[in-house]
Amino acid sequence: MNTPRSVRPIINIAKYTFADEVRQRSFVVMFVICALAIFLTRGCYQGSYVVNGQALDAGAVAGAVSKATFHVIAVAVMLLAALLSMRIFRRDRDDGMQSSILSKPITRRQYVTGKILGLWALSTLFMFILHAVLFLIVSVTLKEAVPGYLAASLACSSSLLFVVVAVLLLSLFVPDIVAFLCVMGIGVVDLATEGLYALSTSRMVTAMMPPSDALAQSSVSWVKVLHCGWPKLSRTQHFASAFIGGEGLHGFGAAYPVVNLLLYCLILGVVLFRRFGNEDIL
Amino acid sequence: MIELNAATKRYGSLAAVDDVSFSVRTGEYFALLGPNGAGKTTVVRMLLDFARPTSGSLSINGLSSTHAACRTSVGYLAENHRIPPHLSGWQYLRRCAELLDMDRSDAVDQCRRIVELIGMQGREHTRAKTYSKGMIQRFGLGAALIGDPKLLILDEPTAGLDPIGIREIRLLLESMKTREMTIFLNSHLLSEVEKICDTAAIINRGRLLVKDTISAIVKNGETLEDVFVRLVKG
Repeated sequence: MNTPRSVRPIINIAKYTFADEVRQRSFVVMFVICALAIFLTRGCYQGSYVVNGQALDAGAVAGAVSKATFHVIAVAVMLLAALLSMRIFRRDRDDGMQSSILSKPITRRQYVTGKILGLWALSTLFMFILHAVLFLIVSVTLKEAVPGYLAASLACSSSLLFVVVAVLLLSLFVPDIVAFLCVMGIGVVDLATEGLYALSTSRMVTAMMPPSDALAQSSVSWVKVLHCGWPKLSRTQHFASAFIGGEGLHGFGAAYPVVNLLLYCLILGVVLFRRFGNEDIL
Repeated sequence: MIELNAATKRYGSLAAVDDVSFSVRTGEYFALLGPNGAGKTTVVRMLLDFARPTSGSLSINGLSSTHAACRTSVGYLAENHRIPPHLSGWQYLRRCAELLDMDRSDAVDQCRRIVELIGMQGREHTRAKTYSKGMIQRFGLGAALIGDPKLLILDEPTAGLDPIGIREIRLLLESMKTREMTIFLNSHLLSEVEKICDTAAIINRGRLLVKDTISAIVKNGETLEDVFVRLVKG
Protein backbone atom coordinates (compact mmCIF):
# COMPACT_ATOMS: atom_id res chain seq x y z
CA MET A 1 0.00 0.00 0.00
CA ASN A 2 1.34 3.41 -0.95
CA THR A 3 1.49 6.08 1.70
CA PRO A 4 -0.03 9.40 0.54
CA ARG A 5 2.65 11.92 -0.48
CA SER A 6 1.69 14.45 2.16
CA VAL A 7 1.90 11.86 4.95
CA ARG A 8 5.43 10.63 4.13
CA PRO A 9 7.28 13.68 5.52
CA ILE A 10 5.18 13.45 8.70
CA ILE A 11 6.17 9.81 9.15
CA ASN A 12 9.82 10.62 8.49
CA ILE A 13 9.86 13.49 10.99
CA ALA A 14 8.07 11.30 13.57
CA LYS A 15 10.66 8.57 12.94
CA TYR A 16 13.59 10.97 13.46
CA THR A 17 12.00 12.43 16.60
CA PHE A 18 11.52 8.93 18.00
CA ALA A 19 15.08 7.86 17.16
CA ASP A 20 16.67 11.06 18.49
CA GLU A 21 14.87 10.81 21.83
CA VAL A 22 15.49 7.08 22.32
CA ARG A 23 19.22 7.46 21.84
CA GLN A 24 19.47 9.96 24.69
CA ARG A 25 21.24 8.55 27.72
CA SER A 26 18.77 10.13 30.17
CA PHE A 27 15.89 8.35 28.42
CA VAL A 28 17.59 4.95 28.58
CA VAL A 29 18.50 5.45 32.26
CA MET A 30 14.90 6.44 33.08
CA PHE A 31 13.52 3.43 31.24
CA VAL A 32 15.82 0.98 33.04
CA ILE A 33 15.04 2.52 36.45
CA CYS A 34 11.27 2.33 35.82
CA ALA A 35 11.45 -1.27 34.60
CA LEU A 36 13.56 -2.28 37.62
CA ALA A 37 11.23 -0.48 40.03
CA ILE A 38 8.23 -2.38 38.65
CA PHE A 39 10.14 -5.63 38.75
CA LEU A 40 11.03 -5.04 42.39
CA THR A 41 7.37 -4.64 43.35
CA ARG A 42 6.76 -8.30 42.52
CA GLY A 43 7.56 -9.15 46.16
CA CYS A 44 4.39 -7.28 47.20
CA TYR A 45 2.27 -9.83 45.38
CA GLN A 46 3.76 -12.83 47.16
CA GLY A 47 3.51 -11.79 50.81
CA SER A 48 0.74 -12.88 53.17
CA TYR A 49 -1.09 -9.93 54.66
CA VAL A 50 -3.01 -10.05 57.94
CA VAL A 51 -5.34 -7.27 59.11
CA ASN A 52 -7.02 -7.48 62.53
CA GLY A 53 -5.97 -11.10 62.72
CA GLN A 54 -7.64 -11.99 59.43
CA ALA A 55 -5.60 -13.06 56.42
CA LEU A 56 -6.34 -11.03 53.31
CA ASP A 57 -7.14 -12.63 50.00
CA ALA A 58 -3.88 -12.73 48.02
CA GLY A 59 -5.72 -12.09 44.76
CA ALA A 60 -7.39 -8.96 46.13
CA VAL A 61 -4.06 -7.65 47.44
CA ALA A 62 -2.37 -8.31 44.11
CA GLY A 63 -5.20 -6.54 42.29
CA ALA A 64 -5.00 -3.46 44.53
CA VAL A 65 -1.20 -3.22 44.36
CA SER A 66 -1.12 -3.72 40.61
CA LYS A 67 -3.78 -1.02 40.10
CA ALA A 68 -1.77 1.40 42.20
CA THR A 69 1.37 0.52 40.21
CA PHE A 70 -0.59 0.99 36.99
CA HIS A 71 -1.48 4.57 38.00
CA VAL A 72 2.07 5.34 39.17
CA ILE A 73 3.45 4.19 35.80
CA ALA A 74 0.94 6.33 33.90
CA VAL A 75 1.81 9.43 35.96
CA ALA A 76 5.56 8.79 35.63
CA VAL A 77 5.27 8.47 31.84
CA MET A 78 3.20 11.67 31.69
CA LEU A 79 6.08 13.42 33.48
CA LEU A 80 8.55 11.89 31.05
CA ALA A 81 6.44 12.90 28.03
CA ALA A 82 6.32 16.47 29.35
CA LEU A 83 10.10 16.49 29.91
CA LEU A 84 10.76 15.20 26.40
CA SER A 85 8.32 17.62 24.78
CA MET A 86 9.40 20.78 26.55
CA ARG A 87 12.71 21.17 24.71
CA ILE A 88 11.94 19.53 21.39
CA PHE A 89 11.55 22.76 19.36
CA ARG A 90 14.53 24.44 21.02
CA ARG A 91 16.80 21.47 20.42
CA ASP A 92 15.75 21.19 16.78
CA ARG A 93 16.43 24.90 16.38
CA ASP A 94 19.84 24.68 18.08
CA ASP A 95 20.84 21.61 16.04
CA GLY A 96 19.90 23.37 12.80
CA MET A 97 17.45 20.57 12.00
CA GLN A 98 14.40 22.84 12.07
CA SER A 99 15.69 25.14 9.31
CA SER A 100 17.04 22.14 7.43
CA ILE A 101 13.62 20.44 7.41
CA LEU A 102 11.58 23.56 6.71
CA SER A 103 13.82 24.62 3.81
CA LYS A 104 12.46 21.55 2.02
CA PRO A 105 8.95 21.36 0.53
CA ILE A 106 7.54 20.50 3.93
CA THR A 107 4.85 22.62 5.58
CA ARG A 108 5.06 23.74 9.17
CA ARG A 109 1.92 21.71 9.89
CA GLN A 110 3.61 18.55 8.65
CA TYR A 111 6.65 19.34 10.80
CA VAL A 112 4.60 19.92 13.97
CA THR A 113 2.40 16.87 13.30
CA GLY A 114 5.52 14.73 12.87
CA LYS A 115 6.93 16.01 16.15
CA ILE A 116 3.66 15.32 18.02
CA LEU A 117 3.35 11.83 16.55
CA GLY A 118 6.97 10.93 17.30
CA LEU A 119 6.73 12.02 20.94
CA TRP A 120 3.32 10.46 21.41
CA ALA A 121 4.36 7.13 19.88
CA LEU A 122 7.51 7.05 22.00
CA SER A 123 5.78 7.81 25.30
CA THR A 124 2.90 5.43 24.52
CA LEU A 125 5.33 2.63 23.70
CA PHE A 126 7.33 3.39 26.85
CA MET A 127 4.17 3.20 28.98
CA PHE A 128 2.92 0.11 27.15
CA ILE A 129 6.17 -1.77 27.81
CA LEU A 130 6.09 -0.87 31.51
CA HIS A 131 2.43 -1.88 31.76
CA ALA A 132 3.25 -5.09 29.89
CA VAL A 133 5.91 -5.88 32.52
CA LEU A 134 3.23 -5.31 35.18
CA PHE A 135 0.82 -7.51 33.23
CA LEU A 136 3.39 -10.33 33.14
CA ILE A 137 4.12 -10.07 36.86
CA VAL A 138 0.40 -10.09 37.78
CA SER A 139 -0.36 -12.91 35.35
CA VAL A 140 2.43 -15.07 36.77
CA THR A 141 1.43 -14.26 40.37
CA LEU A 142 -2.27 -14.89 39.90
CA LYS A 143 -1.64 -17.69 37.40
CA GLU A 144 -4.18 -16.19 35.05
CA ALA A 145 -3.79 -13.66 32.23
CA VAL A 146 -5.34 -10.25 32.84
CA PRO A 147 -5.23 -8.64 29.36
CA GLY A 148 -7.10 -5.61 30.71
CA TYR A 149 -3.73 -4.03 31.59
CA LEU A 150 -2.79 -3.70 27.94
CA ALA A 151 -6.15 -2.24 26.89
CA ALA A 152 -6.00 0.13 29.87
CA SER A 153 -2.52 1.21 28.85
CA LEU A 154 -3.73 2.17 25.39
CA ALA A 155 -6.70 4.05 26.89
CA CYS A 156 -4.22 6.10 28.96
CA SER A 157 -2.41 7.24 25.84
CA SER A 158 -4.97 10.04 25.33
CA SER A 159 -3.52 11.66 28.48
CA LEU A 160 -0.05 11.45 26.92
CA LEU A 161 -1.29 13.09 23.73
CA PHE A 162 -2.74 15.92 25.80
CA VAL A 163 0.52 16.37 27.73
CA VAL A 164 2.63 16.40 24.53
CA VAL A 165 0.40 18.91 22.70
CA ALA A 166 0.00 21.18 25.74
CA VAL A 167 3.74 21.29 26.52
CA LEU A 168 4.68 21.87 22.87
CA LEU A 169 2.21 24.75 22.68
CA LEU A 170 3.28 26.34 25.94
CA SER A 171 6.98 26.00 25.06
CA LEU A 172 6.33 28.48 22.22
CA PHE A 173 5.17 31.12 24.71
CA VAL A 174 7.14 30.57 27.90
CA PRO A 175 10.52 29.06 28.88
CA ASP A 176 10.64 25.27 28.60
CA ILE A 177 10.66 24.56 32.31
CA VAL A 178 7.67 26.87 32.87
CA ALA A 179 5.78 25.01 30.12
CA PHE A 180 6.54 21.74 31.93
CA LEU A 181 5.44 23.13 35.30
CA CYS A 182 2.23 24.62 33.83
CA VAL A 183 1.13 21.27 32.45
CA MET A 184 1.99 19.57 35.73
CA GLY A 185 -0.08 22.32 37.39
CA ILE A 186 -3.04 21.35 35.20
CA GLY A 187 -2.70 17.81 36.56
CA VAL A 188 -2.58 19.03 40.16
CA VAL A 189 -5.64 21.30 39.70
CA ASP A 190 -7.43 18.36 38.09
CA LEU A 191 -6.78 16.24 41.16
CA ALA A 192 -7.92 19.08 43.43
CA THR A 193 -11.17 19.63 41.48
CA GLU A 194 -11.84 15.89 41.59
CA GLY A 195 -11.46 15.98 45.36
CA LEU A 196 -13.60 19.10 45.75
CA TYR A 197 -16.25 17.70 43.46
CA ALA A 198 -16.40 14.45 45.41
CA LEU A 199 -16.70 16.50 48.58
CA SER A 200 -19.38 18.80 47.18
CA THR A 201 -21.52 15.89 46.04
CA SER A 202 -21.10 13.88 49.21
CA ARG A 203 -24.28 13.42 51.24
CA MET A 204 -22.63 14.68 54.41
CA VAL A 205 -21.65 18.03 52.87
CA THR A 206 -24.98 18.61 51.12
CA ALA A 207 -26.81 17.78 54.34
CA MET A 208 -24.63 20.23 56.29
CA MET A 209 -25.21 23.06 53.82
CA PRO A 210 -28.27 25.22 54.50
CA PRO A 211 -30.39 25.50 51.31
CA SER A 212 -30.62 29.31 51.75
CA ASP A 213 -26.80 29.85 51.73
CA ALA A 214 -26.39 31.36 48.25
CA LEU A 215 -22.60 31.76 48.56
CA ALA A 216 -22.07 28.11 49.43
CA GLN A 217 -24.44 27.04 46.64
CA SER A 218 -22.61 29.14 44.04
CA SER A 219 -19.25 27.78 45.21
CA VAL A 220 -20.57 24.29 44.68
CA SER A 221 -21.79 25.26 41.19
CA TRP A 222 -18.35 26.63 40.31
CA VAL A 223 -16.69 23.46 41.50
CA LYS A 224 -19.09 21.50 39.28
CA VAL A 225 -18.39 23.68 36.22
CA LEU A 226 -14.63 23.46 36.79
CA HIS A 227 -14.90 19.74 37.33
CA CYS A 228 -16.81 19.28 34.11
CA GLY A 229 -14.68 21.50 31.87
CA TRP A 230 -11.14 20.99 33.23
CA PRO A 231 -8.88 18.52 31.34
CA LYS A 232 -9.79 15.19 32.82
CA LEU A 233 -6.42 13.56 33.35
CA SER A 234 -7.19 11.63 36.52
CA ARG A 235 -10.66 10.59 35.35
CA THR A 236 -9.10 9.19 32.17
CA GLN A 237 -6.87 7.10 34.42
CA HIS A 238 -9.90 5.78 36.25
CA PHE A 239 -11.65 5.12 32.95
CA ALA A 240 -8.61 3.14 31.78
CA SER A 241 -8.24 1.20 35.02
CA ALA A 242 -11.84 0.03 34.64
CA PHE A 243 -10.53 -2.28 31.91
CA ILE A 244 -8.29 -4.03 34.43
CA GLY A 245 -10.91 -5.06 36.92
CA GLY A 246 -13.39 -5.88 34.19
CA GLU A 247 -15.65 -3.22 35.69
CA GLY A 248 -18.45 -2.29 33.36
CA LEU A 249 -18.29 0.94 31.35
CA HIS A 250 -21.75 2.36 30.99
CA GLY A 251 -22.80 4.88 28.36
CA PHE A 252 -21.22 8.12 27.21
CA GLY A 253 -20.59 9.26 30.78
CA ALA A 254 -17.90 6.65 31.26
CA ALA A 255 -16.04 7.70 28.11
CA TYR A 256 -16.50 11.45 28.75
CA PRO A 257 -13.01 11.95 30.25
CA VAL A 258 -11.38 10.60 27.07
CA VAL A 259 -13.67 12.72 24.87
CA ASN A 260 -12.86 15.75 27.05
CA LEU A 261 -9.10 15.18 26.62
CA LEU A 262 -9.39 14.59 22.89
CA LEU A 263 -11.37 17.83 22.53
CA TYR A 264 -8.65 19.66 24.43
CA CYS A 265 -6.01 18.05 22.18
CA LEU A 266 -7.94 19.27 19.13
CA ILE A 267 -8.29 22.84 20.42
CA LEU A 268 -4.69 23.07 21.66
CA GLY A 269 -3.49 21.44 18.43
CA VAL A 270 -5.22 24.12 16.32
CA VAL A 271 -3.68 26.88 18.47
CA LEU A 272 -0.27 25.16 18.23
CA PHE A 273 -0.44 24.99 14.42
CA ARG A 274 -1.48 28.64 14.19
CA ARG A 275 1.17 29.82 16.61
CA PHE A 276 3.97 27.80 15.03
CA GLY A 277 2.79 28.98 11.61
CA ASN A 278 3.53 32.55 12.67
CA GLU A 279 6.86 31.79 14.36
CA ASP A 280 10.07 33.10 12.83
CA ILE A 281 12.39 30.16 12.09
CA LEU A 282 15.91 30.92 13.25
CA MET B 1 13.06 32.29 -11.02
CA ILE B 2 13.07 34.58 -7.97
CA GLU B 3 10.90 37.70 -7.67
CA LEU B 4 10.84 40.20 -4.84
CA ASN B 5 8.02 42.67 -5.09
CA ALA B 6 8.28 45.61 -2.65
CA ALA B 7 9.29 43.13 0.06
CA THR B 8 9.39 44.76 3.49
CA LYS B 9 10.12 43.24 6.85
CA ARG B 10 9.77 45.30 10.00
CA TYR B 11 10.65 44.36 13.55
CA GLY B 12 8.80 47.02 15.53
CA SER B 13 10.02 50.37 14.21
CA LEU B 14 13.13 48.83 12.59
CA ALA B 15 12.88 48.03 8.88
CA ALA B 16 15.22 45.08 8.32
CA VAL B 17 14.21 45.01 4.64
CA ASP B 18 12.57 48.09 3.20
CA ASP B 19 10.60 47.98 -0.05
CA VAL B 20 13.07 45.77 -1.93
CA SER B 21 12.20 44.65 -5.46
CA PHE B 22 14.37 42.67 -7.86
CA SER B 23 14.33 39.45 -9.83
CA VAL B 24 16.83 36.68 -10.54
CA ARG B 25 16.56 34.82 -13.82
CA THR B 26 16.95 31.07 -14.29
CA GLY B 27 20.59 30.03 -14.64
CA GLU B 28 21.90 33.25 -13.12
CA TYR B 29 24.69 33.25 -10.53
CA PHE B 30 23.43 36.06 -8.34
CA ALA B 31 25.04 37.65 -5.28
CA LEU B 32 23.25 39.70 -2.66
CA LEU B 33 25.86 41.94 -1.09
CA GLY B 34 25.77 44.21 1.88
CA PRO B 35 27.53 44.98 5.16
CA ASN B 36 26.61 43.11 8.35
CA GLY B 37 23.02 43.87 9.36
CA ALA B 38 22.08 45.13 5.88
CA GLY B 39 19.14 42.71 5.65
CA LYS B 40 20.66 40.01 3.41
CA THR B 41 19.79 37.10 5.69
CA THR B 42 16.29 38.50 6.24
CA VAL B 43 15.73 38.40 2.46
CA VAL B 44 16.83 34.76 2.42
CA ARG B 45 14.64 33.93 5.40
CA MET B 46 11.64 35.51 3.70
CA LEU B 47 12.37 33.56 0.50
CA LEU B 48 12.33 30.31 2.47
CA ASP B 49 9.26 31.36 4.47
CA PHE B 50 11.24 31.34 7.72
CA ALA B 51 9.94 34.87 8.24
CA ARG B 52 6.83 36.40 6.71
CA PRO B 53 7.15 39.80 4.98
CA THR B 54 5.35 42.65 6.71
CA SER B 55 4.26 43.81 3.25
CA GLY B 56 5.09 43.00 -0.34
CA SER B 57 5.62 39.54 -1.75
CA LEU B 58 8.33 37.08 -2.72
CA SER B 59 8.06 34.20 -5.13
CA ILE B 60 10.11 31.30 -6.45
CA ASN B 61 9.21 29.86 -9.83
CA GLY B 62 6.01 31.90 -9.87
CA LEU B 63 4.80 30.42 -6.58
CA SER B 64 4.48 32.58 -3.47
CA SER B 65 7.25 31.89 -0.94
CA THR B 66 4.56 31.00 1.60
CA HIS B 67 3.74 27.83 -0.38
CA ALA B 68 5.87 24.85 0.60
CA ALA B 69 5.68 23.64 -3.04
CA CYS B 70 7.89 26.55 -4.17
CA ARG B 71 10.79 24.90 -2.29
CA THR B 72 10.46 21.67 -4.29
CA SER B 73 13.64 22.26 -6.24
CA VAL B 74 15.52 24.49 -3.84
CA GLY B 75 18.72 23.66 -1.96
CA TYR B 76 19.64 25.80 1.05
CA LEU B 77 22.85 26.24 3.00
CA ALA B 78 22.46 28.30 6.17
CA GLU B 79 24.99 30.73 7.55
CA ASN B 80 26.91 28.83 10.28
CA HIS B 81 25.36 25.58 9.21
CA ARG B 82 24.85 23.02 11.98
CA ILE B 83 24.42 19.25 12.01
CA PRO B 84 22.99 17.43 15.06
CA PRO B 85 26.16 16.30 16.88
CA HIS B 86 24.96 12.72 17.38
CA LEU B 87 24.46 12.16 13.63
CA SER B 88 27.19 11.28 11.17
CA GLY B 89 27.48 13.24 7.94
CA TRP B 90 26.09 10.22 6.12
CA GLN B 91 23.05 9.95 8.41
CA TYR B 92 22.44 13.66 7.99
CA LEU B 93 22.55 13.42 4.19
CA ARG B 94 20.26 10.37 4.30
CA ARG B 95 17.71 12.27 6.36
CA CYS B 96 17.81 15.18 3.95
CA ALA B 97 17.31 12.79 1.01
CA GLU B 98 14.41 10.99 2.71
CA LEU B 99 12.73 14.31 3.47
CA LEU B 100 12.80 14.98 -0.27
CA ASP B 101 10.71 11.86 -0.68
CA MET B 102 13.42 9.75 -2.30
CA ASP B 103 13.21 6.00 -2.02
CA ARG B 104 15.92 4.15 -0.13
CA SER B 105 18.11 3.13 -3.07
CA ASP B 106 17.90 6.57 -4.72
CA ALA B 107 18.78 8.21 -1.41
CA VAL B 108 21.83 5.98 -0.94
CA ASP B 109 23.01 6.58 -4.52
CA GLN B 110 22.59 10.34 -4.20
CA CYS B 111 24.35 10.46 -0.85
CA ARG B 112 27.28 8.41 -2.16
CA ARG B 113 27.62 10.76 -5.13
CA ILE B 114 27.37 13.86 -2.90
CA VAL B 115 30.00 12.56 -0.46
CA GLU B 116 32.35 12.16 -3.41
CA LEU B 117 31.49 15.60 -4.76
CA ILE B 118 32.23 17.35 -1.46
CA GLY B 119 35.38 15.26 -0.98
CA MET B 120 34.39 13.71 2.33
CA GLN B 121 34.97 10.04 1.54
CA GLY B 122 36.23 8.20 4.59
CA ARG B 123 34.82 10.75 7.04
CA GLU B 124 31.12 10.39 6.30
CA HIS B 125 30.47 7.81 9.01
CA THR B 126 32.06 9.67 11.92
CA ARG B 127 29.84 11.75 14.17
CA ALA B 128 29.34 15.42 13.38
CA LYS B 129 30.69 16.47 16.78
CA THR B 130 34.16 15.48 15.56
CA TYR B 131 33.89 17.60 12.37
CA SER B 132 35.65 20.90 11.81
CA LYS B 133 33.66 23.95 10.71
CA GLY B 134 34.82 23.46 7.13
CA MET B 135 33.65 19.84 7.13
CA ILE B 136 30.23 20.80 8.50
CA GLN B 137 29.96 23.48 5.84
CA ARG B 138 30.82 20.93 3.15
CA PHE B 139 28.20 18.50 4.40
CA GLY B 140 25.75 21.42 4.52
CA LEU B 141 26.50 22.21 0.90
CA GLY B 142 26.17 18.51 0.09
CA ALA B 143 22.75 18.42 1.78
CA ALA B 144 21.70 21.47 -0.26
CA LEU B 145 22.71 19.66 -3.45
CA ILE B 146 20.64 16.54 -2.77
CA GLY B 147 17.87 16.08 -5.31
CA ASP B 148 19.70 18.14 -7.96
CA PRO B 149 17.97 21.43 -7.10
CA LYS B 150 17.38 24.05 -9.78
CA LEU B 151 17.97 26.84 -7.27
CA LEU B 152 20.69 26.94 -4.64
CA ILE B 153 20.35 29.53 -1.88
CA LEU B 154 23.62 29.99 -0.01
CA ASP B 155 23.71 32.24 3.01
CA GLU B 156 27.35 33.19 3.72
CA PRO B 157 28.64 29.75 2.65
CA THR B 158 32.24 30.63 3.49
CA ALA B 159 31.58 32.30 6.85
CA GLY B 160 34.16 31.22 9.40
CA LEU B 161 36.21 29.18 6.94
CA ASP B 162 39.95 29.48 6.48
CA PRO B 163 41.34 30.57 3.07
CA ILE B 164 41.71 26.95 1.94
CA GLY B 165 38.13 26.17 2.92
CA ILE B 166 36.90 29.29 1.13
CA ARG B 167 38.78 28.29 -2.01
CA GLU B 168 37.37 24.75 -1.89
CA ILE B 169 33.79 25.99 -1.59
CA ARG B 170 34.40 28.47 -4.43
CA LEU B 171 35.81 25.75 -6.70
CA LEU B 172 32.85 23.55 -5.87
CA LEU B 173 30.42 26.32 -6.80
CA GLU B 174 32.32 27.11 -9.99
CA SER B 175 32.20 23.45 -10.98
CA MET B 176 28.41 23.62 -10.87
CA LYS B 177 28.19 26.23 -13.60
CA THR B 178 27.74 23.44 -16.12
CA ARG B 179 24.59 22.19 -14.38
CA GLU B 180 22.33 25.10 -15.40
CA MET B 181 21.64 25.84 -11.78
CA THR B 182 20.54 29.21 -10.43
CA ILE B 183 22.58 30.36 -7.47
CA PHE B 184 21.50 32.98 -4.95
CA LEU B 185 24.62 33.77 -2.96
CA ASN B 186 24.47 35.88 0.14
CA SER B 187 27.91 37.14 1.00
CA HIS B 188 30.16 39.98 1.95
CA LEU B 189 33.28 38.33 0.55
CA LEU B 190 33.52 40.52 -2.53
CA SER B 191 36.56 38.87 -4.11
CA GLU B 192 34.80 35.50 -4.09
CA VAL B 193 31.60 36.98 -5.49
CA GLU B 194 33.53 38.67 -8.30
CA LYS B 195 35.01 35.28 -9.24
CA ILE B 196 31.78 33.27 -9.10
CA CYS B 197 28.77 35.47 -9.89
CA ASP B 198 27.36 37.12 -13.01
CA THR B 199 24.95 39.56 -11.36
CA ALA B 200 24.78 41.24 -7.99
CA ALA B 201 22.63 43.50 -5.85
CA ILE B 202 23.89 45.67 -3.02
CA ILE B 203 21.66 46.47 -0.07
CA ASN B 204 22.33 48.62 2.95
CA ARG B 205 20.08 49.27 5.96
CA GLY B 206 17.38 47.21 4.27
CA ARG B 207 17.26 49.30 1.08
CA LEU B 208 18.34 48.16 -2.37
CA LEU B 209 21.14 50.37 -3.72
CA VAL B 210 21.89 48.70 -7.05
CA LYS B 211 21.10 45.53 -8.99
CA ASP B 212 22.89 44.77 -12.25
CA THR B 213 25.48 42.55 -13.89
CA ILE B 214 28.84 42.69 -12.15
CA SER B 215 30.45 44.05 -15.33
CA ALA B 216 27.92 46.92 -15.36
CA ILE B 217 28.39 47.65 -11.65
CA VAL B 218 32.20 47.64 -11.82
CA LYS B 219 33.40 50.28 -14.30
CA ASN B 220 36.34 52.58 -15.00
CA GLY B 221 39.06 50.42 -13.48
CA GLU B 222 37.26 50.15 -10.13
CA THR B 223 36.95 46.87 -8.22
CA LEU B 224 33.70 45.52 -6.76
CA GLU B 225 35.12 46.46 -3.37
CA ASP B 226 35.55 50.10 -4.42
CA VAL B 227 31.96 50.28 -5.72
CA PHE B 228 30.65 48.54 -2.60
CA VAL B 229 32.41 50.95 -0.24
CA ARG B 230 31.34 53.97 -2.27
CA LEU B 231 27.68 52.92 -2.34
CA VAL B 232 27.46 51.78 1.26
CA LYS B 233 29.25 54.83 2.69
CA GLY B 234 26.97 56.92 0.52
